[in-house]
Amino acid sequence: MQISEDKLKRIMADIFDIDVSTIDDSTSVDTVSAWDSLNHLNLVLALEHEFNITFSVEQTVQILNYPLIKAILGEHGVSIGQGQ
Amino acid sequence: MSKEKLDAAIRRLSQEPSYSAYAAVANLLDRLDSRASGFPLLKVAVLRNFTLEPLLPVIKGEVALSGFHPKVQVGGFDTIAQDVLDPTSELYAFAPNLIFLAQWLEGLSPALVTRFTSLSSAQVTDEMERVLTMIGHFITVLRRHSKAPIVINNFMLPLFPALGILDAQSESHQTHAFLRLNRELRDRLEQFPDVYLMDVMGLMARIGGAQGMDERYWQVGRAPIGSNALLPWGREYGKFVRALGGKARKCLVLDCDNVLWGGIVGEDGLKNIHLGKTYPGSCYQTFQSEILNLHDRGVILALCSKNNEADVLEVLKDHPDMILREDNFATWQINWEDKVANLMRIAQDLNIGLDSMVFVDDSQFECGQVRERLPQVAVLCLSGDPSLFRTKLQEQGYFDTLALSQEDKRRNQMYRDDADRKRLVASAGSLEEYLTKLKMVAQIGPVDELMIPRVAQLTQKTNQFNLTTRRYTESDIRAFIANPATDVFFLKLSDCISDMGLVGVMIIRYQDQQAVIDSFLLSCRVLGRGVEDMFMTQVLALAQARGCHTILGQYIATAKNSPVADFLGRFGFQMVAEHATGRDWSLSLTKAISVGPSWVRVECIQQRGKYADK
Repeated sequence: MQISEDKLKRIMADIFDIDVSTIDDSTSVDTVSAWDSLNHLNLVLALEHEFNITFSVEQTVQILNYPLIKAILGEHGVSIGQGQ
Repeated sequence: MSKEKLDAAIRRLSQEPSYSAYAAVANLLDRLDSRASGFPLLKVAVLRNFTLEPLLPVIKGEVALSGFHPKVQVGGFDTIAQDVLDPTSELYAFAPNLIFLAQWLEGLSPALVTRFTSLSSAQVTDEMERVLTMIGHFITVLRRHSKAPIVINNFMLPLFPALGILDAQSESHQTHAFLRLNRELRDRLEQFPDVYLMDVMGLMARIGGAQGMDERYWQVGRAPIGSNALLPWGREYGKFVRALGGKARKCLVLDCDNVLWGGIVGEDGLKNIHLGKTYPGSCYQTFQSEILNLHDRGVILALCSKNNEADVLEVLKDHPDMILREDNFATWQINWEDKVANLMRIAQDLNIGLDSMVFVDDSQFECGQVRERLPQVAVLCLSGDPSLFRTKLQEQGYFDTLALSQEDKRRNQMYRDDADRKRLVASAGSLEEYLTKLKMVAQIGPVDELMIPRVAQLTQKTNQFNLTTRRYTESDIRAFIANPATDVFFLKLSDCISDMGLVGVMIIRYQDQQAVIDSFLLSCRVLGRGVEDMFMTQVLALAQARGCHTILGQYIATAKNSPVADFLGRFGFQMVAEHATGRDWSLSLTKAISVGPSWVRVECIQQRGKYADK
C-alpha cells in the first residue's frame, strides 16, 4: 500500500493534538509533550486501524520517532510517498 | 476560531469516521469549554477494571456527534470498589450525568476465564454469584449517591471454550456458564431504575471476537479492546448517549429509485424495476423489511423523491413485491423540486425538527447538498452494492431508544390520523367549527406508576413545546411522585378520529403557598387546538384549589423552544425578569381562573390524597 506522507502526519497530528507542519524526521517521543504511554497506545491502534495491519509487540515499543514509524510501516508493506 | 475548528473536525468525523478523526475531535473538545463549543455539557464518569483509554477519543467524539460537550472522568485502574463505596470519592464530587461501568470478565474473575476446568460446578456457581453480588452491590451504592443513568456491559463468550468441542455439549461447561452469567446479570439489573445493559457479547459476536479482542495489549497493558473494536464499541456507548439525551432520530426520509427498488420507475416502468424474491430485487425487499421493522418500532416514514408522484404511488399500490405500502408512510414529497426544500416541507408537515430526521439517498450529489445546507439532518448515502443497504442502515442505530411505549408502536397510525384531521379541516367552515367537530376529550390527573416510562420519555424527547426542557429519568419522575411537595400531571387526549394517548406533562413544585412550574410540555402533534390552554388552566385551577396564592413559571430558552417564549403571558402571567437564558413569570392566583377552551371536554380530574386532605 502506498500512502502519502501527509496522511501519516495527519494521524500523528490528530492523536497528539499538534500541527501537521511541525512533524518531521526529528519528531519523537522526546519532542512531543503529548506523546505519553497512553497516547502511544492510541497511536499504535490508530495506525493499525487505518492501514489494517498488526504490529508485533516488539514493533509497538520501537516506534518512538517519525523515521522509525515509517520504517516499521514499510515492514508491513505500507510505503510512504513524498509530499502530499 | 477554535469553535470553527471543532465544527470542521466534527464534519470531517461524520463524513469519514476513523480513529484519528475521533482523536482530533476529542483533543479539540478537551481544549474548549462547553460555552465555547455551544453544546450543553455532559459529564460522563467511567469506572473500569481494564485499560479503556484508547476508547476515550471515540466516546468523546460520539458525545459531540450527539450534540453534547463531553467532560469525561475516568476512575483509577481497577478501583471501582473504592470509587463507588467512598462517598467522598472524586466520582461523586464530579457529579456525573451518566455513568459507564466498564468491566472485563477476566479482571473480575480470572478463574472463570482461564481456569474453568479446574472448578467444580458448585465452585462455578459460587464464583458467578460472587461476581453478580459484587456488581449488584456497586449499583446499589451508586444509586444511593447518584441519580445518573448507568450503562453496564455484559461479557464476551470464550473464543476457545475450556473444553474444546466438548464444551458445547453440556449446560455446565464454560460457554453455557457465561451465557447464564450474562442472563442472570440482565435479570438482576431489572430491579434498579435507570440501569441499562450494553450487550458486549452481541457486539463482540458482530465484530468477531478474535478480531475485537487484542491479546497483545491485554498482556502488555490490560487493554483488551483491539483496533477493530474501538469504533464499534465507542459507537455503542454513543447510542446510549443519544437515547438517554433525547437525541434519537424519529423520522426516516427515503428516496425511491435505487433505494427502495433497483432501477428508475419513471424510465423503466413498474414491471421492470428490480424488486422481488431473487437477486438483485431481493436486496431491496430485505431493505424494505428492515424499514418496516423500524416503522413497527415507531419510526415515522416519509418519501422524498424526484419523480412523477403517480409513478411512485402506482408502485406502492400495485407492485406485488413491495413490502412497504402507501399507508406505511406518514407523508411524502414526490416532485421535481430540490430535496432541501422538500425535506423542510416534510419537517413542517410532520411538525418535527430537522435534527429528528435521517435522509437516505443513492445520489452523492443530493446527499452532499443536504449535508451542506441542512447539517442537522443525518444523511445516509446508499450508493453501490444494494445487498449492503440493510446493514448500512442497521449499524447506525439512528433510532435506538431505551423504551418502546404503546405510543411509539402506534406512531405511524397517529400521523395518518393527522392526515384525516387535515381533511376534516378542509370540510369545516372555521377553525372553531373544526375544533368542535373534532370532539376532543382531555384527561388530566396525577401520573401513576404505569405512566412513568412514557412521562420520562416525553421529558427526554420533547423539544419544541417545552418551557424548561428539563430532562428527567424514570427514577426522577418516581421521586417527584413520592414527594408531597411536588405534583406530576399528565394530559391524555382523544378525539373523534383516534386516541392519542399521553401527550402532555406538567411538573409543579409547591413552596408554602407558592406553586412553581418546573416543567410544562406537550407533544407537538397536538398543538394548535387549544389543548395546551386547557391543560394549563386546569392545573392553575388545581393550584388555586390547593390554596396557592401565586404561581411562578419559567421559560428557559433553547435552540428549539422559542415558540413558547411568551406562552405564559397568555394566561395573565407577568414577566418579572428577562435574561439571556430566558424569562421568569409570575401569576397571582387570587382571581378566578377561567378554564377552557370550551371545545375541549375534560373528562376526569382525579386528585391524589393530598388534595383530598384539604
